[in-house]
Amino acid sequence: MNRDKNLPLTETTYYILLVLIETAHGYRIMQKVEELSDQQVKIAAGTLYGAIENLLKQELIQSVKSEDKRRKTYVITDKGKEVLRLDFERMRHMIRITENQFGGISDEKI
Amino acid sequence: MRKFKYFLDLEKEEKWLRDMAKQGYQLEDRSFGYKFRAAEPEDAVIKIDYRRFKKQEDFLEYRILFEDSGWKHIAGKKNSGAQYFQKMSEASDDDIFSDKLSKAGKYKRLSDMSMELSMCYLPLLVVLITMDMINLEVLVNPKALYFTPGLWEMTGVAFWRAFLFETPFAFFRGFAWLFIPVMMVLYLISAYKANKLYEKSKP
Repeated sequence: MNRDKNLPLTETTYYILLVLIETAHGYRIMQKVEELSDQQVKIAAGTLYGAIENLLKQELIQSVKSEDKRRKTYVITDKGKEVLRLDFERMRHMIRITENQFGGISDEKI
Repeated sequence: MRKFKYFLDLEKEEKWLRDMAKQGYQLEDRSFGYKFRAAEPEDAVIKIDYRRFKKQEDFLEYRILFEDSGWKHIAGKKNSGAQYFQKMSEASDDDIFSDKLSKAGKYKRLSDMSMELSMCYLPLLVVLITMDMINLEVLVNPKALYFTPGLWEMTGVAFWRAFLFETPFAFFRGFAWLFIPVMMVLYLISAYKANKLYEKSKP
């Protein structure tokens, strides 16, 4: 089976897409990614700006009208949702086979 | 105070600006050399991104994103390429990039831009060549560049006065076109070097 060319997503991209299931502007994306990842993933401004630019180009997100004229807001597209779902399936599969390989031992023993 | 310096390695430029800030020179403007204003000496974290913008609103959004996350835009214009930021809050991280690939990306943009600028001169060069405005014969016969009537028959002081007076014009007449290939080569070198920095710093 041919895998979607966008897969696997980087951790940064995955989090950005996940956050953009609801609309958000740039700085809000940074805050929410930090929050969702338990402060493990922090995206700096330069990196986020480039990531947004790429995601717009790949049509995985789109910009939407906002009241704040100086800050653009973004939201995931249908294509973006599909890619996010495929990457989620990919990781779920990895978790499942990993659990099998470990023979059902619980987390603490690994 | 104004200073003229040329950096290709943006990390070295950042370090230099940080040293300047420590001595009390705050970067104010970058359109013609580096313009500094006297300020309290401080240990400022300054980072450079390389980006140009098509629309004013994109440039504004870009600066606001940085400002929201604690980085003040201190110098750089919509089309200038280099954008200078200073860390404003202790809470924000020490860099404007959080992964190696995006950090290396600025060198890729710098390299592409230098390549583009170099190619901008190409049509000019082609026009000069096709319109026969470049005369390589003058290299073997530089006398052809001097137009003063009877110059080569003159002697003594009269000769030297006329000769030295016309030399700058003759030089300009014969070699001004060299400016174009020289600029092309300089931009090509900078594109090549920036690309090497990109290859070196990408993961």
